[in-house]
Amino acid sequence: MFAGGLAKHDRDPGLLIREHSGRVNNSSTQRCVGRRKRRLLERKNTNLIKYLLRRFMGWLLMIVVATNVTYFLAWAFLDPRSNYIGRRPPLSRDEVTQLLEPRNLSDTVPLVQRWWGWFSDIIFHWDWGVSAVGESVNSQVAYRMWISAELVLGATIITAILGIALGVYTASRQYKLADRIGQATSVVTMNINIVVAALGIVLLAIGFNDLVGARVFFVTGSHSQDVTGFFPIVLDALQHLTLPTLALVLVGYAQYHLLQRTLLLDNINADYVRTARAKGLTKQQAIRKHALRTSLIPVATQVAFTIPTIFTGAILTERIFGWNGMGRYFLDTIGKNDVHGVVAIAAFGAVLTAVGAILSDIAIVALDPRVRVS
Amino acid sequence: MSTDQIQPPVGPDTTAARIPRKRMSLWSLYTRRFVRNRPAVAGIFIFILLVLFSVIAPFFAKYDHIELDFLNLSSPPSSEHWFGTTSAGNDTFAQVAIGLQRSLMIAVSVSVGTTILSAIVGTAAAYFGGLIERGILLVIHFLMVIPTFLILALISNDAGGDWRVISLILILTGWFFPARVIWTMALPLRESEYVNAARYMGVPGMKIVMRHLIPNIGSLLVINFALGVVTAVMAETGLSFLGFGVKIPDVSLGSLIGYGANTITSAPWLFYFPAGALTLLTVSMALVADGLRDALDPTSAAGGQA
Repeated sequence: MFAGGLAKHDRDPGLLIREHSGRVNNSSTQRCVGRRKRRLLERKNTNLIKYLLRRFMGWLLMIVVATNVTYFLAWAFLDPRSNYIGRRPPLSRDEVTQLLEPRNLSDTVPLVQRWWGWFSDIIFHWDWGVSAVGESVNSQVAYRMWISAELVLGATIITAILGIALGVYTASRQYKLADRIGQATSVVTMNINIVVAALGIVLLAIGFNDLVGARVFFVTGSHSQDVTGFFPIVLDALQHLTLPTLALVLVGYAQYHLLQRTLLLDNINADYVRTARAKGLTKQQAIRKHALRTSLIPVATQVAFTIPTIFTGAILTERIFGWNGMGRYFLDTIGKNDVHGVVAIAAFGAVLTAVGAILSDIAIVALDPRVRVS
Repeated sequence: MSTDQIQPPVGPDTTAARIPRKRMSLWSLYTRRFVRNRPAVAGIFIFILLVLFSVIAPFFAKYDHIELDFLNLSSPPSSEHWFGTTSAGNDTFAQVAIGLQRSLMIAVSVSVGTTILSAIVGTAAAYFGGLIERGILLVIHFLMVIPTFLILALISNDAGGDWRVISLILILTGWFFPARVIWTMALPLRESEYVNAARYMGVPGMKIVMRHLIPNIGSLLVINFALGVVTAVMAETGLSFLGFGVKIPDVSLGSLIGYGANTITSAPWLFYFPAGALTLLTVSMALVADGLRDALDPTSAAGGQA
């Protein structure tokens, strides 16, 4: 399958099979090499930490570069000065400059100098600057990021688990009714636009609320104002969270479903799975312990690279459901020519991607014996 | 078309001549494999209907998409206004037709652009290898990290709603993912004999890329094109919905849904019709892409003999 190639990340499936058969051969000689094995294991663990550390540093570098490039891009397209146009009484050019200069947003200062001012503040004081009208980016992002992270990470986890579970379920029932129905549904839901899905869910939820005669689901806001106590707060959060998460899951689960199904089907008839069956494992056990483990690796890599898509989806769902998270901030900062805010959002998106990538790296380390050895 | 005649037995004791079989042309093979995928046929049927609707509907619509009917503000679908009207008195039928046209134009031009750009960059990276490959891959991985949607919004907001500028930006931010896939697919081609032969003949590098590598991943490019249309429609809709894309008086499906979203309980028809058109467009195009994969990809597990 051609599109599957995008997720397979040029891993050689033949190598994987060889690796597995190698493990089967080794197991018979394992008893007499206990001590050597332990020493080997220790070396493996330090290698592993080094590997993860190297990946972590790589991502950190990527985030820094991405944030800086966005800074220059933002300056090319946004003009903080235009926030003061049309003020009454009108401000002169010098007055605006005087307002903007202490905020490090005045275009009278050379760009390199502005950049260094901004960058050194982040490095030395963890201060992401202020908007053109003087709001601190730090305080804005600090509470908004949790609202968005709640949505993005929750949706990512549910999407991945649901998609993989469906993929495994349908792959072991290839071409049966459940598989056909599942596949047809997934092809349709995968290609529904997130905007349409979210608004459709809003309509359905309003209908449901009318039917029940109570506000079971809230279609606006991320939480209610006057709720106290632990359980009421959790319940209230769930009432708000359900619909946007549902929208993100609805358009997102299908890609994991189809990918997992294809990959598992590729592996289900492989030699090492037949060996496992021959050793006396049931079909379910053989799939779970051998075929699934191999086929999960490319899916885990895929999860990292869909996080930006889910973040984009979250921007749209936040707008639809009236959440005051990073999505709303995204619209505000672009509308108000807030250079520092835009850059902070870019950094947030990059961090989300990196978190996803590192998590998927850890998952790959847990799943893929080749990574642990080399 | 192949005949279903039974061939005479072949062996040392018989001299019977084999019945000559007509060779199947490439196109009839493709068509046959495509038609076997029933959802794909339905998809292309729906897609053609949508294209026809977007082209023909403006001619027999009673109202222009900019024209305001002050006697019908926010009126539900009727015989006068088939899809109802907006609160300003715009005819939704004409708006949906024009919006669909605009969305299609953006989607097709973006998909053509990204396919060409990603094909050239991806295969060039695979062919030249070394420093060029590493540089290109670095750029691709870097673009995967930065939230491209933000860059898109930044630039297209500045563009003032011109659909040509929006398409150009969508191309510039959309090429890298397909380029990564194409790079992976083109890697084995670099080692193939005909590429080596061309190199030893002294054919210049870029010429080998254009003449040997790209034609050999042609089927992948066709599939990428169909999928690219879906991606572009999605991106454009998101942008226009937020108000960063196509702007008044021009309309696209995304901006129409954006206006409809504000009155979703009081005037739901403003949401239903553009959302329906959009969903039909993306789902049908995805089905077509699936059928194309069955038809063109020799490794496809579509089954059947042809």
